[in-house]
Amino acid sequence: AQDRQGPAAPLCPSPCQCEEDGIFVMVDCSELGLASVPTNLSPLTTYLDLSMNNISEIQPRAFHRLHLLSELRISGNQLRYISGHALQGLHNLKVLMLQNNQLERLPDDAPWDLPNLLSLRLDANLLSEVPAGAFRGVRSLRHLWLDDNSLTEIPVTALDSLPSLQAMTLALNQITHIPDYAFTNLSALVVLHLHNNQIRSMDARCFEGLHSLETLDLNYNDLQEFPVAIRTLSKLQELGFHNNNIKAIPERAFVGNPQLQTIHFYENPIQFVGKSAFQFLPKLHTLSLNGATQIQEFPDLKGTTSLEILTLTRAGLSALPLDLCEQLPRLRVLELSYNQIEDLPSFHHCSALQEIGLQHNQIRRIESSTFQQLTSLRAIDLSWNVIEWIHLDAFVSLHSLIKLDLTENRLSSVPVAGLGGLTHLKLRGNTELYEAFSPDYFPRMRVIEMPYAYQCCVYGSCDSYKPASQWDTEQSNTDEDLHKRTVAMYPMHADTHYDPDLEEFQMEIEESKLQTSVQCTPTPGPFRPCDSLLGS
Amino acid sequence: QHKQISGVSSGCQQGGCLTCSDYNGCLSCKPRFFMHLERIGMKQIGVCMTSCPPGFYGTRSPERNTCTKCRSDCESCFHKTFCTHCRAGFYLQQGKCQENCPEGMVRNEAQRECV
Repeated sequence: AQDRQGPAAPLCPSPCQCEEDGIFVMVDCSELGLASVPTNLSPLTTYLDLSMNNISEIQPRAFHRLHLLSELRISGNQLRYISGHALQGLHNLKVLMLQNNQLERLPDDAPWDLPNLLSLRLDANLLSEVPAGAFRGVRSLRHLWLDDNSLTEIPVTALDSLPSLQAMTLALNQITHIPDYAFTNLSALVVLHLHNNQIRSMDARCFEGLHSLETLDLNYNDLQEFPVAIRTLSKLQELGFHNNNIKAIPERAFVGNPQLQTIHFYENPIQFVGKSAFQFLPKLHTLSLNGATQIQEFPDLKGTTSLEILTLTRAGLSALPLDLCEQLPRLRVLELSYNQIEDLPSFHHCSALQEIGLQHNQIRRIESSTFQQLTSLRAIDLSWNVIEWIHLDAFVSLHSLIKLDLTENRLSSVPVAGLGGLTHLKLRGNTELYEAFSPDYFPRMRVIEMPYAYQCCVYGSCDSYKPASQWDTEQSNTDEDLHKRTVAMYPMHADTHYDPDLEEFQMEIEESKLQTSVQCTPTPGPFRPCDSLLGS
Repeated sequence: QHKQISGVSSGCQQGGCLTCSDYNGCLSCKPRFFMHLERIGMKQIGVCMTSCPPGFYGTRSPERNTCTKCRSDCESCFHKTFCTHCRAGFYLQQGKCQENCPEGMVRNEAQRECV
């Protein structure tokens, strides 16, 4: 809620509220139902807020005495047009907010004369075009909002008057094409937002002149081709073209953009990616490619040495380069699921690796060198492969490993050396794996999935020391059940109210709780007894 | 020096509110207004405004318009990656706030800019 302090200062137009700032005055006339600009404004006004009123026009010379005005807010009114004369005299104006009005056009022949204006907000209006001369009087402008209007093309000539512009948004309009030299005078532009338009095509030289551009947002358009025009943007750091209709990323796609740090291009029907597309991007840290089915070979990532997250799923990869980790020494997450990979190289040069996703491939063997020395590795997903054999020392050096998923493979044995830290182990679907792994192998285990129910009996989840014939339905391990068993272990002498040392007592409860809190499935039951019935 | 919040009034009488509750303020905004959750003590009040408060920038999209925090060294910004006015102790250079100005430039304390 707006906090309006202090009694109305002298020279404060009623019913506005004013605040003194030394000899200057800040005037707040917002949300007062005003139909026009107050007339008796002090020449010492530096800040004037007229937002959220019912002002539909600005009378000529309304602000002509306000030479010291620095910020003028007229957003949220019903203005359809503001002539050049209406803003006469505002020599010091730096910020002009006109958003959320009904502006349909801007003055052309006698444009606004605001020589010191830095920020101009015209967003959320009804502008369908910007006349060539509209910005001739605001040459110092740095920040321009034209988003959420009805523009159908880039206002190329008008933008020629803005050599100091640093940030501009033309988002949420109906622009369909970007012509050559559209921004040729905007050499200081750093940020350009064009998202949520209908851009279908771009001329090859449309971004010429944008020597300082660092952020380009082309998301949510209708681009049919990769925007090769970005080749001239040597300072580009952040590029977005997700949610478009691009089917291929060409060879050497980003050869002109060595500073790129992030590229967002998900939600495109990308089928083909040039092998050299992502080369020589030394600052890129994330690369995500999903569903590019025509990718047969792993991309050549020479010179893209800072990559930390690589996702390349649902493609057609059948092999990985032996020097993968030499090219990507800083890799932390490698996600290669849903390919046809058969053999794995050694990942031991990827010393920062924390997660590997290789599920849904055709991997057959895991060698001793495959995951050697990956001391930061926390999770491996090898589910849904055809692994028959894992070397005894395959996991020996994985001191940080807590999750291992070997679901649906062809294993008959699993080496446990190095798996002492596991909290999650999944072995379901290895129908030739009969061993009942002792809990001693996995002191920190919390969730374990086995091929057969009897393999869960060692986890006490089926009260396994009872003869099978006495098996009945009381096999739940609710806390209450736990409490009864614990009291039986620690008889209290009702008459002496003797309580053992509470902390030690709780420690033992926690200890015993840990023993039975391992969630092991499939849970044994009447039809899946604890006895090892071969083949059951 | 600028007013804390522009284009907004309290409770349910706000011009930009579409749906509202006396306790939580605006629940949804009219088209083209920015929704901002303003903290008042322990409560959060929904506020609909034509521009986000200082320290936040607005992002328009077809579905909704939201206010997002600028970087910690920035007092007002065009976008996450582009500041328009730095906090005390920082100086603006091409949209970035830095403690020191690049070679050949000096600090303008009043504007908090490198010039």
